[in-house]
Amino acid sequence: MSNDRFLAKDALGDFLCHCQGLGYTVYSPQKQEGVRESVVFAPWQKGCEIQLAKATVSPKHLLLPQSEVLFRFRHEKGEEGKSSAVHLEDTSQQAQPTLLFAARPCDARGFTMVDRPYLQGLYADPYYAKRREGLCVLTLCCNSGCESCFCHWTGGGPSSPEGSDILMTDIAEGLVLQAITEKGRKLLAQSDLPEAGAASDQATELRRKAWQSLDKAPDLTEAPHKLKELADNLDFWTEQSRACLSCGACTYVCPTCYCFSISDERRFSGMEEGVRLRSWDTCMARHFTEEASGHNPRALKAQRLQNRISHKYAGYPENWGSFSCSGCGRCVTHCPVGIDIRHIVLAAIALPDTQAKEARS
Amino acid sequence: MRIGVFICHCGSNIAGTVDCARVASLAAGYPDVVYATYPMYTCAEPGQAAIEQAIHEHRLDGVVVASCSPRMHEPTFRKTVERAGLNPYMFEMANIREHVSWIGRDIEANTHKAAELVLLAVEKLRRNRPLYSREFPVTRRVLIIGGGVAGIQAALDCAEGGIPVVLVEREATIGGKMAKLDKTFPTVDCSACILGPKMVDVAQHPLITLYAHAEVEEISGYVGNFSVKIRKRATYVDWSKCTGCGTCMEKCPSKKATDRFNEGIATTTAITIAFPQAIPKKAVIAKDFCRQLSGKKCGVCAKVCPTGAIDYDMQDTFVTENVGSIVAATGYDLMDWTVYGQYGHGRYPDVISSLAYERLMNASGPTEGHILRPSDGREPKSIVFVQCVGSRDPSLNRPYCSGFCCMYTAKQAILTKDHIPDSQSYVFYMDIRAPGKMYDEFTRRAQEEYGTQYIRGRVSQIFPNGKGQLTVMGMDTLLGKPVEITADLVVLAVGIEASRGARELAEKLRISYDAYGFFMESHVKLKPVETNTAGVFLAGVCQGAKDIPASVAQGSAAAAKVLTLFARDCLASNPQIAHVDNKRCVGCGKCVRCCPFGAISTCTVRGEEKAEVIETMCQGCGLCTATCPQGAIQLAHATDDQILAEVDALCQI
Amino acid sequence: MPDIAKTERRIVGFLCNWCSYGGADTAGVARANQPTDLRIIRVPCSGRVNPLFVVRALLHGADGVLVSGCHPRDCHYSTGNFYARRRLELLKHFLPILGIDPARFAYTWVSASEGQRWQHVVTRFTEEIHALEPAPHFEELEPLYLSQRQSTEPKRPFMPQPPDLLAKLKEEIRTHLPELDCVLGWQKGRDALHAVPFFLRQEEDLERLSLDATCHNSLVRYLPEYKGKKVGIIVRGCESRALVELLQEGLIAREDLHIFAIPCHGLLDVARLEEELGRYQHLENLVIEQDSLRITVDGKERSFSPQAFLRSTCLGCASDEPVLADTCLGSFTAGESTPVTAPELALLDGLNLTERLRFWRGVMDRCIRCYSCRNSCPMCVCHDHCIAESRQPHWQSAEHSVTEKFFFQIIHALHLAGRCTGCGECQTNCPVGIPIFALRAHLNRVIAELFSGYQAGRDAQAVPPLLSYMVDEANIQEREWQ
Repeated sequence: MSNDRFLAKDALGDFLCHCQGLGYTVYSPQKQEGVRESVVFAPWQKGCEIQLAKATVSPKHLLLPQSEVLFRFRHEKGEEGKSSAVHLEDTSQQAQPTLLFAARPCDARGFTMVDRPYLQGLYADPYYAKRREGLCVLTLCCNSGCESCFCHWTGGGPSSPEGSDILMTDIAEGLVLQAITEKGRKLLAQSDLPEAGAASDQATELRRKAWQSLDKAPDLTEAPHKLKELADNLDFWTEQSRACLSCGACTYVCPTCYCFSISDERRFSGMEEGVRLRSWDTCMARHFTEEASGHNPRALKAQRLQNRISHKYAGYPENWGSFSCSGCGRCVTHCPVGIDIRHIVLAAIALPDTQAKEARS
Repeated sequence: MRIGVFICHCGSNIAGTVDCARVASLAAGYPDVVYATYPMYTCAEPGQAAIEQAIHEHRLDGVVVASCSPRMHEPTFRKTVERAGLNPYMFEMANIREHVSWIGRDIEANTHKAAELVLLAVEKLRRNRPLYSREFPVTRRVLIIGGGVAGIQAALDCAEGGIPVVLVEREATIGGKMAKLDKTFPTVDCSACILGPKMVDVAQHPLITLYAHAEVEEISGYVGNFSVKIRKRATYVDWSKCTGCGTCMEKCPSKKATDRFNEGIATTTAITIAFPQAIPKKAVIAKDFCRQLSGKKCGVCAKVCPTGAIDYDMQDTFVTENVGSIVAATGYDLMDWTVYGQYGHGRYPDVISSLAYERLMNASGPTEGHILRPSDGREPKSIVFVQCVGSRDPSLNRPYCSGFCCMYTAKQAILTKDHIPDSQSYVFYMDIRAPGKMYDEFTRRAQEEYGTQYIRGRVSQIFPNGKGQLTVMGMDTLLGKPVEITADLVVLAVGIEASRGARELAEKLRISYDAYGFFMESHVKLKPVETNTAGVFLAGVCQGAKDIPASVAQGSAAAAKVLTLFARDCLASNPQIAHVDNKRCVGCGKCVRCCPFGAISTCTVRGEEKAEVIETMCQGCGLCTATCPQGAIQLAHATDDQILAEVDALCQI
Repeated sequence: MPDIAKTERRIVGFLCNWCSYGGADTAGVARANQPTDLRIIRVPCSGRVNPLFVVRALLHGADGVLVSGCHPRDCHYSTGNFYARRRLELLKHFLPILGIDPARFAYTWVSASEGQRWQHVVTRFTEEIHALEPAPHFEELEPLYLSQRQSTEPKRPFMPQPPDLLAKLKEEIRTHLPELDCVLGWQKGRDALHAVPFFLRQEEDLERLSLDATCHNSLVRYLPEYKGKKVGIIVRGCESRALVELLQEGLIAREDLHIFAIPCHGLLDVARLEEELGRYQHLENLVIEQDSLRITVDGKERSFSPQAFLRSTCLGCASDEPVLADTCLGSFTAGESTPVTAPELALLDGLNLTERLRFWRGVMDRCIRCYSCRNSCPMCVCHDHCIAESRQPHWQSAEHSVTEKFFFQIIHALHLAGRCTGCGECQTNCPVGIPIFALRAHLNRVIAELFSGYQAGRDAQAVPPLLSYMVDEANIQEREWQ
């Protein structure tokens, strides 16, 4: 019998308070008014309305903040400005335990795609590692598919457990919580949530139905190969990128885009001091690859779109054995000009091999 | 960078209200500052030597001096650091005297403020880059605006120095106010006798081009290369044909024209030559008084002119001259004294201005040198001179002294006695200002030898006494009692004001003027003939009240400045100009549209439209930099990054 | 921090070198006692003062900013201060919508001889700044979240495109396509509700051409990319005005364009419709009629009032008349000059200064700096060279602070001043729905007020107000400092 627990809708607040008591900073989806509603992952406080909607922007910033201080530097001087020393303050171990509530499976799977280069490469990134270690992910399964998302194309699904510590299923009157990892099991064990019992079966049924509701996924196994073939086919990419505005919406809403820029920002304090920042960067912008000489290997938006798509569906799989796209569909919905990554990948696959090569320019 | 900071005491000027040692100690902690000290007088020879020594000793590559205004000593210290091998633009000044020590007495607040201003300078300096001037050729010609004595002197000195001169005079003749004078103080020699030959020299000098009856319409360009559009106002007489014979004046039937040269005390003909010694001695038709030009039938002058010089259809014409320097010598005008009710608002014909009185005394004037009352032509026996009419009068916003009235009034009193031995002159004065060589002696002679009665006090009222004379009521403040004098003639020492149109000209010249329209010199004491616009100099009263010797001296001084400027074949350009970053420029043309100097054009670089700065035209205002949305055009030495660093230095601490 | 720093306020002065800096010197020489708060930055000319310097100072903690230059007509650079006057006056009117007290900013003219005037100006301004509270710290303000779903009556009621318009348009394009490199239009994207830009090259592409109230993208945005090529473009009123602006800036050539002008009675706010529809898997049908908007998703038909789902940026639009066109299709409404206030602006209008600042503090926090707003703007011609990302000049830090995010919106808005044609693409494309159109709409309102009803893009021959001046400005009341 399962160890699933049941969390009643009206007990959500208490549960999150309990998690806070365990030392977690809790992030949950929150609706913010604007021209239209926007759902963002923001720190939850007692009294905050609890949202279960899919967030507009992925929770990636919990692991990779929009900008983070890598270290602080300060040039200190002695008497009369004579002797001097540079002081560096390491900020890599400052992250606090964080609980992410009501991410979606695509968000959680996204974490695993960022984990690989940041944790499993030659060097583990200490900033990322510290935050990752402290992050507990409670994922809400999707009860249906959606016109813009395509998690099952990329190896995931509406109840995919990858990247989650606890998987939650919404059964209307409450959530059924199923521990996936040890961290999840521990959290459930520390809680006083009742056992799910029959609700657990109900949840299983809902998850099965969600899977059933999905349209059939196309076979993308040929994608890496085809995209490599197409790497230099400027005509293909020019056509695909014609409408692209070179903004960064797709990369910044994406749960798996992890590119960054490093910059030093001075503080004007009367001393030489400042911070080294790591901040989000977008490969769709021209300056992303601009070299100091002025030369730019990806001066054209066609080249940049090629890079982005190929990285997700060819380059990354080559290195890490999986697509670096969790199919959340946010790039599709938020692209101002409706560039649809699904169509591009399918178009690449549909192109006969010979044509892909022949059209090389 | 390795920056040295020098916090100047300026004796007690700064150190009196700023803790200089404390500022230096704070500055030592600022980024890149490796040396900070607080000398007594940084600008003095030992102070400058100390900067040079520090540059060598501490291997400085940038220097900040906190002292007086950069408008004062920035050039001095740029030369200092240059002598020590630094680029002159690797230098910044913090103004802790005019902007700190002199305007506040709180030592703590001043010290804090001074330290922040030094930080501002340090942060700016850290973003400075060496700048290098370029050489550009100079048009070695000078434009002199105004043909009064100052302009004449400047023109002759320049021409004698081998510089071609373009002299523009608004009136039909040069000579200015001095040409109207009878005698000059303190020597009482004849004005015409000393000015006349100079005027002739102007006419005859092969290097002087004279445009009389002309005005400056437009000025463009910059030091070394100005382009000046001159409007030659229609004279209706072809001067190339006019011989100045004067037949036209004799025959002209319109004899009621205002005689401006004679200050309105007489009338003249519609076609006229200002005075017998006029240069050029050419006739001009006053359009408003000419019957032919007013649409009536006449044409007499055309009929009698022996050379057929009359041209009723003449229009204004324009000529463009290219010059490398400009001297403004536009002189002054008298204020409109008729605003004074106590002097009769100009209703009494026998209350006249002192300049009109000069014309009455002048042998070439309408009375041929006989002093006769305008009202009835009688010789006046009792003459009252009133000083400071429109000078030193804050009630009319004329707080300044016109400078030379005390002296010419003494002269006029002396001459009156010479002309009419049985006359008695009275002078109502506020103070007698006679500081020049032989001046005070002169005013004493007027009193002691010529019996002029000086009354210290103001005139309260002048009114006709009904017997053909004027009653002048005033106060003798020395005796402390009212005085009443019956006068045949009252002469007002009318105050001066900036020449009509001076402000408009200043705007064309891009120079400043003060609240009264007098042009601003670059520095009150040390740069009295320079302006803030390179290549534009000042001479004479246009800069402020002064008498003939001072005007002549300034004319020569301005000429010396022109000759100095032209001593080199090329001038060094100001390297603080805008530069376009071609990578960033998208060719939208916003900078081209608003550049005040037309110094930005477009060019094609690899098929793309880009802005391009014409280096010699750019004056460095930075309007383009403030306009360019992508920051592609940056003004050197005032780049966005430099100003942002200054803002941040102030707002983030 | 010395004690004095606690009693002083932070006042930044930008003084032109030739007049005002000299005037401050003159005041110093005359030992004219002044408050010690002011710190002077010397600039060559008041025209050098980018209004963004002023905003930067105010956002970063300055309590007051004073700009002073030569008197009008007396500029050392002859006209620099005339431009400065327009830009700084505009700034003065812009600050309140940000929630910054305009009393914190003043500009004036002081000549090199006017030491006394300088003393008076500094003393007065410093007193005024002391009379205000210290400037609030933007980052530390409590966010204020407000709904801006107020209903505003559209200036012109919504109407769908006439049924025959598309066919006529296709015919016209078919005629002209052979002489054109491509024609910029729209097609349906992932479903009927989502239109995307479309670049027609061949006759068979005409099949896919789409034309309805979901086709929101401003195609003018793409034109500079096609400079030198003959292209056709489909434009509505606001887009034709954007096109005029690009012509004014010389970024496109009229002879290269074939303009197909179509009428427009408002676009649908697709994002809000999506919100209503919720999560769906298949959109099966979309019918847009004058009074009803019917959408079938996952087998269920939903019905909406199109009037209630108009894009807020379209509500104030008075005219769809094209300024320029080669082929005009349909009939147009001539415009009047008093547009209604966009609802997002009306919302801000109803707040006090502190509330406005708190409002921006709230909404700007979720900005992800993706720059969709900028990159979809047809008037953002800097494209890859925006100062937001440049390191030299270094206007913006890479730090994702709410101040930096807000400052970018201020940069964007001020760069659009006098150029924005009000298409609203910036706001429509914001992934997180920040009501940034309010800033543009406000500036458009101010521009019209200050510069005799000027509206960007109405006249290809007009000189944009910030790139020109009048010696005597009709609508600028300069401060007297009595």
